[in-house]
Amino acid sequence: MNEKVISALREIYGERLKTSLEDRICYSYDATGKEFLPDAVAYPLNAEEVRRTVLLANEHRFPVVPRGAGSGFSGGSLPVRGGVVLSTERMDRILSIDTENLVAVLEPGVVTETLKEEVKKKGLFYPPDPASLKFCTIGGNLAECAGGMCAVKYGVTRDYVLGLEAVLGTGELVRTGVSTVKGVVGYDLTRMLVGSEGTLGIITRATLRLVPLPEFAATLLAFFPTNEMGAKAVAGIVEERITPCAMELMDRTAVDCVRQSADLSLPDETGCALLIEVDGQEATVAREADRVEGACRRFGALEVRRAADAAGRDKLWALRRSISPAVRKVNPVKINEDIVVPRSRLAEMFAFLSGLAERKSLKIVNFGHAGDGNIHVNVMISGKDEDERRRAEEAVEEVFRKTVELGGTISGEHGIGIAKAPYMEMEVGPLGVSVMKRLKSCFDPNGILNPGKIFLEEAAVRR
Amino acid sequence: MRDDELRALTGACAKCGTCRTVCTLYPERKAEISVARGKIALIDAALEGRDGNLDAVQEALSDCLLCGRCERACPNQVLVEEIIMKGRADVARKIGIPAWKQALFGKVMPSPRGRDAARAAASAAQKLFAKKIPTGSGLHYRFPEAFGLAGRTVPKLPARGFVESLKPGEAATGDVMLFVGCVFDHVFPKVGRASYESMKASGRSIAVFRDAACCGLPAMVSGDRESALRCAEENVRRLRAAEAEKIVFPCGSCLLMFKRNFFSLIPEKHPLREDAVRVSDRCEDYASFILETGVVSRLPDPPEGEKVGEIGYHDPCHLSGTLGKGAEAREVLEGAVGSGFAEMKGADLCCGYGGTFNVRDYDTSARIGENKVSLAAGGGTRRISTACSGCILQLRDMAARTDPSLEIVHIAELVAGALSRR
Ligand SMILES: Cc1cc2nc3c(=O)[nH]c(=O)nc-3n(C[C@H](O)[C@H](O)[C@H](O)COP(=O)(O)OP(=O)(O)OC[C@H]3O[C@@H](n4cnc5c(N)ncnc54)[C@H](O)[C@@H]3O)c2cc1C
Repeated sequence: MNEKVISALREIYGERLKTSLEDRICYSYDATGKEFLPDAVAYPLNAEEVRRTVLLANEHRFPVVPRGAGSGFSGGSLPVRGGVVLSTERMDRILSIDTENLVAVLEPGVVTETLKEEVKKKGLFYPPDPASLKFCTIGGNLAECAGGMCAVKYGVTRDYVLGLEAVLGTGELVRTGVSTVKGVVGYDLTRMLVGSEGTLGIITRATLRLVPLPEFAATLLAFFPTNEMGAKAVAGIVEERITPCAMELMDRTAVDCVRQSADLSLPDETGCALLIEVDGQEATVAREADRVEGACRRFGALEVRRAADAAGRDKLWALRRSISPAVRKVNPVKINEDIVVPRSRLAEMFAFLSGLAERKSLKIVNFGHAGDGNIHVNVMISGKDEDERRRAEEAVEEVFRKTVELGGTISGEHGIGIAKAPYMEMEVGPLGVSVMKRLKSCFDPNGILNPGKIFLEEAAVRR
Repeated sequence: MRDDELRALTGACAKCGTCRTVCTLYPERKAEISVARGKIALIDAALEGRDGNLDAVQEALSDCLLCGRCERACPNQVLVEEIIMKGRADVARKIGIPAWKQALFGKVMPSPRGRDAARAAASAAQKLFAKKIPTGSGLHYRFPEAFGLAGRTVPKLPARGFVESLKPGEAATGDVMLFVGCVFDHVFPKVGRASYESMKASGRSIAVFRDAACCGLPAMVSGDRESALRCAEENVRRLRAAEAEKIVFPCGSCLLMFKRNFFSLIPEKHPLREDAVRVSDRCEDYASFILETGVVSRLPDPPEGEKVGEIGYHDPCHLSGTLGKGAEAREVLEGAVGSGFAEMKGADLCCGYGGTFNVRDYDTSARIGENKVSLAAGGGTRRISTACSGCILQLRDMAARTDPSLEIVHIAELVAGALSRR
């Protein structure tokens, strides 16, 4: 980016444009740990500034990369082709919480937990709860269609979006969707933008759906000898016609990575732990918790514990949420996959994974949202051994093939970004990719928004 | 710049973003460069030679309160405080440390006589240049804006420090050693005195550590590891000779130095390592000592007149957070003032002092501090007690700015007050 562009950007942003190397380094990474330097960083305060930036980008042809909290796991916010990173962290106002219509309107930089806490004060519930909820933003959640623990019962970000305001790649400001529960006027542009990873539009405002806050919850922690047994218990619980609001599976290694700091003891033969929560009315919660406990025991649980109170529950959830970063204790480089298989095939998947780890002599740590069949398969490598890296890449490819074979999907919630671009066609086929590309060119004909993401030939780097 | 040890520490960061949620500075800056994740990326860039502008890197590293909240929240237990301090030191080694800091940390701080002289000089300057401000916690001076102290309020410096005020031979030997700390010796000798008198109520023989060097924390956080090490070595040598059973600290920051930072300065292979471990093992905070020795149980019942819930406790980041000693101070308070104590609003928020941070960016430091004090006062607290010298300096200044009737005290003053009613 030349001086002329920088000074045009400075006219929009003033002091809120940063070009020092130090500031740029601080927006060069996300939770994948990869780094790409942007040419500049700007902190927009409103849609108009975003719009002017994208217009300028069309004129001078530089990339514009929206960024929330940079907690993404597929490299979505990495400026792989340079350009300007638009950090939404200062567009962080909740504009309204409508308790009659159960709707919230907010800017994209609002942190997910902040929204959840604010609506909770009014007896309402915004369900999506990615493990990163304390820091990730609604904009990032929308752009990745983030899931979370409670997706098994409440669905994912997509299920709570009514309408959006976004700046398209052309610099046009579009308002999509509705602020009512229903609406079928034309194509569903709202859902088109959800999960588009900042490649179709930059979301500047969101209208989200809320639901009443469940009054009670009970949390159980069950230990099983193996992942397969844990997975069978998950399917068994669902067959009981209970829908817990979370069923999180953690394998032994994952639990070991976090339990010292949380002071958690385990039965010796533990190979897997299930963290299960049921919510709703007081009477039903107690009954369902008993049935969940019974089912766990029938499926071979070594021990089942219940959180005594809210503090105990918080502790268990904090433990679960810290797993993802903490598995680095196993090995410094994490190849983080995010597959989903039908719940009934989970046990089969786990059997395949343990065989794979052995066959390729790799360390694979598994945890995730077993309730909806979403497993984070983490191949942990040293990063220094070329042969190990090659084996890891082969293993990942095998995992994806197996996933598709079992009727699953290669990414449940983390998105494609740069990390999974090479594998997309495996699942959606050449026609699927081609239709997506045609859509991309409608929204962003000059390829301004977040270039180098999702599509293989554009992916600047493989993992 | 090369530092394999530092590199190993930064390597544990997963760049997840948890540090953003607890950072004291982040709400002020709303920029990634203020949080641990950003600073770690900068240190890596400097170590790998990708960023050669070390002045700019140092500037970014200095913009941190070292409150340690990120470190305690980190799912990977990344040692952020150590990383920032080591990063500052590595960079300082390349670009130097300002001459005034070198003189202060290298010459004045390690020497008890040097500090006496410095206080006398500062006291004279205060009388000449600053305006008198009476507050709930006693007389203060406010420096004029132009003085380079940006309108700070500082306590009136005493004519004599606490240690100087001891009679020759008084508190010269004992089983328990009181490490007063520079601030409680020279700036608030009343706190030094209150600590000493209340510790005597334990029935143990108390010695005051007269030739203490500065704990070294100000030098350490400024990246002057050489001076910090000199202070640490001096203290270890002198304390080893004194052979005290326990060494008690009224100041949480000094204690942090002895409990934790020592081992960064004096690593495994250092000749003083064994002595340092032995000394460190005997160090403890004032509240723990008062509890263990039963002083609290011997305190008279609080007087009837004590207003319910007027006294709060401010958690010093290092003492309550890093060293986990928040409960002990509260137990002491409940013993000393009974129902006069109540949990204060925002008790565990950082006061915003951050030592050198307060010097380099007073405006931000003051916004964080004012917010803290107003929150407490809004919740009905009239006296804020705490147990760290930096926090007391800051809270007094902040009280003077927002609500001068608010009183800031050390918990030892409340214990000594209760004892005097016996
Ligand atoms: C510890 C940890 C746990 C996690 N757990 C989960 C989990 O349980 N479930 C889950 O789904 N994810 C999880 N994630 C991944 C990540 O937090 C989510 O993908 C999240 O939605 C990213 O939000 P962000 O604000 O950090 O976005 P970023 O990482 O900054 O960006 C993500 C993508 O969104 C785009 N984007 C950001 N803002 C906008 C905008 N306003 N308009 C258009 N595009 C935008 C970016 O360009 C990028 O493509 C986890 C991450 C971590 C580090």
